[in-house]
Amino acid sequence: MKDVSKYRVRARSSSIWMALSVAATALGLGMLALILGSLFWNGFTSLSPRVFTEMTPPPGSAGGLLNAIVGSLMMTALGVLVGAPLGIMAGTWLAEYSAGSRLASVVRFINDILLSAPSIVIGLFIYTVAVAPIGRFSGIAGALALAVIVIPVTLRTTEDMLRLVPTALREAAYALGMPRSLVIRKVIYSAAKSGIVTGVLLAVARISGETAPLLFTALNNQFFSWDMTRPVANLPYVIFQFASSPYKDAQSLAWAGAIIITMTVLALSVTARSLSGSRNS
Amino acid sequence: MANHTVAAFDLELKELQRTIAAMGGIAETMQSDAIDALAKQDVRLAQKIIAADPELDRLQRDVEEKAILTIARRQPMAVDLRDVIATIRIANDLERVGDLVKNIAKRILAMDGQFPPPTLLASIGRMSLMALNQFKSVIDAYTQRDPQAALAVWQRDGDIDNLYTSLFRELLTYMMEDPRNISFCTHLLFAAKNVERIGDHATNIAETVYYLVTGESLAVDRPRGDENELSAQAGE
Amino acid sequence: MSATPAEKVSVKNLRFFYGQNLALKGINLPLYDRKVTAFIGPSGCGKSTLLRVLNRMYDLYPKQRAEGEVLLDGENILGPEQDLNLLRARIGMVFQKPTPFPMSIYENIAFGIRLYENLPRSEMDDRVEAALRGAALWDEVKNKLGASGLSLSGGQQQRLCIARSVAVKPDVILFDEPCSALDPISTAKIEELIDELKAHYTIAIVTHNMQQAARVSDYTAFMYLGELIEFDETDRIFTAPKQRATQDYITGRFG
Repeated sequence: MKDVSKYRVRARSSSIWMALSVAATALGLGMLALILGSLFWNGFTSLSPRVFTEMTPPPGSAGGLLNAIVGSLMMTALGVLVGAPLGIMAGTWLAEYSAGSRLASVVRFINDILLSAPSIVIGLFIYTVAVAPIGRFSGIAGALALAVIVIPVTLRTTEDMLRLVPTALREAAYALGMPRSLVIRKVIYSAAKSGIVTGVLLAVARISGETAPLLFTALNNQFFSWDMTRPVANLPYVIFQFASSPYKDAQSLAWAGAIIITMTVLALSVTARSLSGSRNS
Repeated sequence: MANHTVAAFDLELKELQRTIAAMGGIAETMQSDAIDALAKQDVRLAQKIIAADPELDRLQRDVEEKAILTIARRQPMAVDLRDVIATIRIANDLERVGDLVKNIAKRILAMDGQFPPPTLLASIGRMSLMALNQFKSVIDAYTQRDPQAALAVWQRDGDIDNLYTSLFRELLTYMMEDPRNISFCTHLLFAAKNVERIGDHATNIAETVYYLVTGESLAVDRPRGDENELSAQAGE
Repeated sequence: MSATPAEKVSVKNLRFFYGQNLALKGINLPLYDRKVTAFIGPSGCGKSTLLRVLNRMYDLYPKQRAEGEVLLDGENILGPEQDLNLLRARIGMVFQKPTPFPMSIYENIAFGIRLYENLPRSEMDDRVEAALRGAALWDEVKNKLGASGLSLSGGQQQRLCIARSVAVKPDVILFDEPCSALDPISTAKIEELIDELKAHYTIAIVTHNMQQAARVSDYTAFMYLGELIEFDETDRIFTAPKQRATQDYITGRFG
C-alpha cells in the first residue's frame, strides 16, 4: 500500500494555487472587460456621422473630430515614414552587418533605453530641438516626436525578425554566389517581410494613442489644417482636452475619439497578429 | 573485438556462430564414424550416420533464416557483413559435407556382405582421415578466426586430390584383375569421390574464413592435385 | 575499378579553427572529377566543417579560419584574392534542411541564373525547365511554376534546391546531409538524382546514413575527431576497411 498522505497534501496545495491563478486571471480579464465595456457603451453612443465631418467645436457647442482625425493621420503617417525606414535599416545593420562589433552592443543598449523612455521625455526633446529654436509648435515636430518612438520599436522587431530567418536560408543564398546586399534585399527581407511589417504596424498602433509627445510639439488646432508647419489637431490631445471639459458635447466627443483610436489600434493588432500567424504556419 | 552498441546484434551474430560450430561438430562425428564404418564394414554405424544427416539440414535452414533476418534488421557492414555471409556459405558447405558422408554410409550398406581387401580399405581410410583433418582444421580456423590456419588448409587440398588419383588407379587395377571386384570397387570409388569432395568443401570453407577475417579473397585457382584425364573422367 | 580519375579538388594539409579550437587537424584528400565522395563519421568529427571550407561558407563568420590549401582545378581557393561569390557559383551547396527562397518556384531557379547571366525571357524559361528536369522535378511542378517554393513537400523542396544549384552550372556540388529531413521515398529520389548528377558534376556528400554513403558514393572518407582516418573506394570501405576505427564505426561498435 502506497502512502498517499504526501500526495494528498500536494494535491490540496495544487488546487489552492490553481484557484488563486484563476482568480487573478478573472480579475485581469474583468478589468479589461469593464474598460472596454464602458468605452464601447459611451463611445458608440457618441459616434455619429458628424464626428467625421465637422471640426472640433468651441466650448459649449456641438461639432465633430474631423480636423483631429486628419491631423492624427498625417502625423502618424509622417512619423512612420520617417521612423520606420530608419528603424528597419538600423535593425538590418545590427542583424546582418554588425556581427561581433562593439558598436552594435552600444547601439542595441541605447535602443533599449529609447524603447522604454517615457514618451513625455521624447516630446520634451523634440520641443528643445524642433519647437523652441523655431518658436512655433508644428505638425512636423509632432511627427518627428512620433518618429523617435517608431524607430526603436521597428529597429528591435526588424533585428529580431531578421535573426529569426534560418541560418540555412541565409547560407543557401550565399552558397549560390549572391553578394550580401542581394541576399539581404531579395532573400532575407522576403523571408522576414511579414515580421517586419508586423513591427511597423505595432509601432503605428503604439504612436496613434500617444498624447504626451504631442503636447510639446504639435499642440492642437481648433481648425482644419493641412499645414504641417503649424500646430495640428490630433485625437489624443483632443480627448485629453475634451474629457476634462465640463460640457456634455465635448465629453461625448472625447468618448468618440477614444473609441476611434481603440478600434484603430485593435484593427492594427489583429492585422499584425494574423500576419505573424501566417508566417508561423 | 569491441561489442556493438546494439547488444542484440552481438547476440544474433554469436548465435549464428554457435550454430555453425554445432553443425561442424555433427559433420565431424559423422565423418569419423564413416571412417570406422568403412574400415569395419559396420552397417549399424552406417545407419547411425544416415540418421544424423537431417539434423544438419535443419540447422542449415536455421542459419539461413537467422542470417536473412539479421541482414534485414541490422544491415550489417564490413566485418559483420562478411561474418553473416560467411555463416550462410559455411552452413551450406557443412550441409553438403553431411550429404556426402551420408552417401558414403549408403555405399557401406550397399557393400554389405562383400569384403574388400584390407589394403584398399586402408587406402581409402587414409584419404578419409586426411579429409577429416582438413575439416577439423578449417572448423578450428573458423572458430579461432585464424586466416593463416585457413590458408594452410587451402594449400593442403592438393594432397587429397593426389591421394584420390592414386586410389583411383589402385581400384582400376583391382577391377581389371577380377571382374567380381567391380561391384565393391565401384562403391569404394564413389566413396572416395565423396571424400575428395569433402576436401573441396573444406577448401571452400577455408576461402570463406580467409575472406571473413581479412576481407581479401584468395586467388581464384587454388593449388590442385594432379588434374589428369583419369580423375576428370572419374568425376560425375 | 579503372584507373584513378583526375582530381577536381585537392585538399592539402587543411587545418581549420573555430576561434582557438582546432576542428580539422591536417586533412589531405582528393575529390575526383565526376565522382561522388561521401564523408562519414560521428557528429563533431569535422565532416561538415570540411564541406563548408570547400565553398568558404565559413567566411560568413568571424573567428573561423582555415590554413593549408584547397585546390580547385589546381588553384588555391583559400587565398585572400579568391572572389567568394564566383567561387560559390562554381561550388554549389545543398543543405540539410530544404531551403527554398520565399518566392515562386520559377523565381527560385531564375534568381540564381540572373546573378551571372542576362537572358531573354524565353531562354530563361528554357534554363529553368532544364534545371527542374535535371532535378527530376519538372513533371511535378510544370503547372504551378508561379506557386511559392514553400508550398512544395519537403522532398520536392530539396529537389528544388538541387535544381537551383544546378541552374548556375557549378563544377562541384556539396551535399550536407541532404536527406536527413526526408522520408525514405524522397530520400530514394534524391539518391537517384545524385547518381544522375555525377555524370556532369563532382559531388561531395556528408551523411550520417552509412547505407546511403554505401549506395551513392564512389569514394568514402571516414573522419574522426578532426582527422581523416581512412579514404578509399566505397566498395572497399564498407566491406573491408583497413582501419580498426573505420570498421568499429561502420559496424556500430563505436563506444
